[in-house]
Amino acid sequence: MNLILQTLADGLVLGGIYALAAVGFSLIFGVMQVINLSHGVIVVIGAYLALILSRLLAVDPLLTIPLVMAALFVFGYAYQRWLVQLAVERSSLLASMLLTFGVALMLRNILVWIFSPDFKTISPPYAFVHFHLGELTFDLVRVSALATSLVLLCLLAAALHWTRFGRIVRATAQQNLAARLCGVDARHVYALTFGVSAAFAGASGIAIGMVLPFAPPDEAFWTLNAFVVVTLGGVGSPAGALVGGLLLGIVNTLTAQYVGPAFPNATMFLILVLMLLVRPSGLLGNAFSPSR
Amino acid sequence: MTRQRSERTWICLSLAALVAAALAPLVLAPFYVRVGQLVLYSAALGLAWAILGGFAGYWSFGQSAFIGIGAFVGGLAEAELATAPPALQFLVGLAAGSAACAVIAALLAYPVLRLRGIYFAIAMLGVAHVFAELNNNIDIFQGSLGLTFPNIGIAGLDPHVFYYELFLVAAAATLLAAWLIRRSRFGYGLLSIREDEDTARMLGVPTEHYKAAAFVVSAVIAGVLGLIYAHSLGYITTGSVYRDDTNLNAIVYSLLGGMGTLIGPIIGAAILVVLTHVVLGDFLDFHMFATGLLLVLLVLLAPSGLVGLARKLVGRKKVRR
Repeated sequence: MNLILQTLADGLVLGGIYALAAVGFSLIFGVMQVINLSHGVIVVIGAYLALILSRLLAVDPLLTIPLVMAALFVFGYAYQRWLVQLAVERSSLLASMLLTFGVALMLRNILVWIFSPDFKTISPPYAFVHFHLGELTFDLVRVSALATSLVLLCLLAAALHWTRFGRIVRATAQQNLAARLCGVDARHVYALTFGVSAAFAGASGIAIGMVLPFAPPDEAFWTLNAFVVVTLGGVGSPAGALVGGLLLGIVNTLTAQYVGPAFPNATMFLILVLMLLVRPSGLLGNAFSPSR
Repeated sequence: MTRQRSERTWICLSLAALVAAALAPLVLAPFYVRVGQLVLYSAALGLAWAILGGFAGYWSFGQSAFIGIGAFVGGLAEAELATAPPALQFLVGLAAGSAACAVIAALLAYPVLRLRGIYFAIAMLGVAHVFAELNNNIDIFQGSLGLTFPNIGIAGLDPHVFYYELFLVAAAATLLAAWLIRRSRFGYGLLSIREDEDTARMLGVPTEHYKAAAFVVSAVIAGVLGLIYAHSLGYITTGSVYRDDTNLNAIVYSLLGGMGTLIGPIIGAAILVVLTHVVLGDFLDFHMFATGLLLVLLVLLAPSGLVGLARKLVGRKKVRR
């Protein structure tokens, strides 16, 4: 009983971080149907930026979040406006997926040049503190990473729901043409969405860097992970990402605990395929474009 | 009139190229024979992918699943017959591997092919990863231990040259199959699916069966190629056949050469393999960056591939005249 509760709790903590890492991917997919295969590398870049900044400024890694988010927002805006959008217009959505893959390879190679392929960690001073809640044990780092994720996800959800920017983004996602007829500059909105997505990916990189060691090749894992989270939870909403992330976290820890430590990946992809077949729009899905 | 003539020219050109390619190992250095093997292997893979991806427009991101199934099922079947002569072992492996690919592809086809576009691509990526993980973690498949393959070469012939010729036969057979499909009713059906699946269906094209058939053909060819590739390596683990870069390259060949054409994947494979193995062979640090840059430039500058680019240039000339 204790073991299963602890496994569930670990899964939830992990899942919260997964959700934040996937929310940007989900937003881009929901708004412009672009699969951003460079999402994972932006997550890893966020972790490296936080590593540099927290050493340089000698502050807690969580305090570097605003800086990292701002930098990656600018990067994401420019990347979409002058690269991804061109690919979509000149070629096709599928080709834009290849373009983002090419960018991911380039950025990953650049990260290896700058930081070496070795694993790095961001360890705040409270790295080894943990506390007990009843019979369950929690690491302080993991819990603070989870709290950060939840706060950021709520902020994004609120922004999408109540601000003017959020309304415009949702309108463009639902009916591109109608939104443009109402005076929305769709390209600008796309680029803004991409910027927001990159900013949140970077923030999740910080949370990940505090919890797990990271290296440039990890980007592939975070991209695939975002995929699975989004297919599980549903496209285009922070709530979908949260549900998908938490589920995936629980499934991962449960499989690792009860089936075998080698099997979480197999289960993850099996769930991905099954979900696509049964309910391609995800549990909370509101897919604006049909999958079949 | 012109169409028939141009078809005849193409057949003659292909036969000449085939003979030239078959004789090439006589003059090539051993390293280039190995590069030639990879070019032929990649070209055949690209063509097999194009039967579904190029003709019908269903871009699979999981072609490596069938390369892996062909190699591992074939290899395990061969291991059962360890005492038989190697050539017989290879034939049994070929039969077992392609049968496994056909059955698995036929079972997967109907559910997976209901998905379209990006959803299909991703589902196939998932399928490839599920098979890779299972292959690696279930002991009877020996994915993490590795499988050893017997030498099936002919005595007196350099094994590199032998495998080169074997890959050449496979590539030529794939090209023939793709060409026959392309000019048949089935092939036109696949093209109509790419153009507009719903309309094609309304006009009486059996889209479901055509897609499934193309999927199975493409999978079986990939499986056979996987088994030959495994033999040419001699020893494989999960990681040597279930590779994400293979999944990607199968698409890039068509994209570079020309989507939906027969010559496209061959040109694309030749350029990409020579570029990565010969030109960039000495710059390993730079390798990934260059591949990424190539992808980006390709998508932005030549969205319809080199064949498309050539056609555009030729077309312009004609108009000027």
